[in-house]
Amino acid sequence: MTDQEIISRFEELDAGRILGDLDTGEMDEWEELARDPRCQSDLALELTAAALEAEFQDTNKIELPPGLLEELEKGTADFVVEKPSKKVEETVGEIPLWRKILSDKDTAWAIAALFAILFVAQTFVSDPSTSTPGPPSTQVSPEEASKTLVAEAKDLIRAPFEGGGDYKGMSGEVVWSDERQEGYMSLTNLPVNDPKSKQYQLWIVDPTRDEKPVDGGVFDIGLAEGTTVIPIRNPLVIRDPKAFVITLEQPGGVVVSKQEIVVAAANS
Amino acid sequence: MRSWVFFVGIRDRQISNTGLNLSLFVSGAETDIGGRDLLALVAQGKESAMDRCIKEYAPLVWSIVRRYVQNTSSAEDVVQETFIDLWRSAKRYDSSIATHTTFVGLLARRRAIDHTRKESRRPRLEPMPEGDSLNLASEGPNALMKCEREVVRQALAKLPEETREIFILHFDQGMTHPEIVEWTGLPLGTVKTRLRRGLIELRNQLRPANSPSNPQTPNS
Repeated sequence: MTDQEIISRFEELDAGRILGDLDTGEMDEWEELARDPRCQSDLALELTAAALEAEFQDTNKIELPPGLLEELEKGTADFVVEKPSKKVEETVGEIPLWRKILSDKDTAWAIAALFAILFVAQTFVSDPSTSTPGPPSTQVSPEEASKTLVAEAKDLIRAPFEGGGDYKGMSGEVVWSDERQEGYMSLTNLPVNDPKSKQYQLWIVDPTRDEKPVDGGVFDIGLAEGTTVIPIRNPLVIRDPKAFVITLEQPGGVVVSKQEIVVAAANS
Repeated sequence: MRSWVFFVGIRDRQISNTGLNLSLFVSGAETDIGGRDLLALVAQGKESAMDRCIKEYAPLVWSIVRRYVQNTSSAEDVVQETFIDLWRSAKRYDSSIATHTTFVGLLARRRAIDHTRKESRRPRLEPMPEGDSLNLASEGPNALMKCEREVVRQALAKLPEETREIFILHFDQGMTHPEIVEWTGLPLGTVKTRLRRGLIELRNQLRPANSPSNPQTPNS
């Protein structure tokens, strides 16, 4: 065999090794050729198989065996160098105590009863004229906040949403300010979703930040009619958004969208 | 499918001017924590990054491992071994060569295939390299790959019909070789050859055109 034939044969056997389908004779041949300096395994071949494998896995439908996640977390112990901050640990540490108390049925019922009595007592006994009001609510509705942003932001971006497929009847727009890192979507005729089944999720495309769209948060539409204003919750700084895309995802949203249902997009 | 087509339409009409590769469509939060690479933080031993990795990639790893390992208890062991590999080899990850998903998928496949080899009365077989020995950085430009989702699909679409069908049966439907033989009526040797040569062809397509190992590269 020529050098090229030997290399080609090794490559084919190596592909078989990566696919896990070498028989005993082929494995002998692979082992012999692997010792030949002309033959070298190519990691790219294995990466190709891994990319294919990952591409076809629908991880949204995967149910893990009970307890596996906990076991995996335990398995990090030997590799952890830096734990989360103390504050977080303390917060986490409090949960088991409360769980312990509440897991005791008698205690839980006693606490529930106490709260019920206190609630009734406050409702019927307290004098509204003497009660001390809390500080005036500083919470602004998304509608008002959106109007304020539109009125005040000097670098305001406005872009209309265009629905597609089953969502062609929707309309809306997105307003965004890079300076304020604040934005809102006004959406009309977007179907009401059942949050237990599906949730809408926003993606922000910012080429200056990353090639990958940033998760803009999940949201629900509860009103069949009228316009719903949704605040954009960007976990990362957005510098120059070029597009806003809404998809429909599983409850809680996803980190990797399969883009199976793209509801609408706005190009800024 | 209709939605996918629509999204492609949106890309063409509206987003293409961003010059972005949207095919991976990964949230920034997936790959970054505070703008830092997730696997880089894992390599530094940060527990929060490891917890996040587990939550994000356990379903993928489980899914891949289950394709090769039928026994549930054994599959759980292989998943745990895969994550140990990940903690050890995260420092060798190079984002210019593979995506996180491909990297994790590679580790899962290695572990799963090794397990099946050990179970299949082939004691002489050398195990595939441990994750710890994996060094993407040392592979240099030869290993550079375009493993983004859409690019992989496009490359797959370019395969000959008869090869593509076997790839879909194997990677998408999860069929074993004997199952593909039964389904297609093809001899086992043909199925194996098509898969192997198809994998090599896909590798060639996914490699950037300027890669020194790409046979399509001029003067290579």
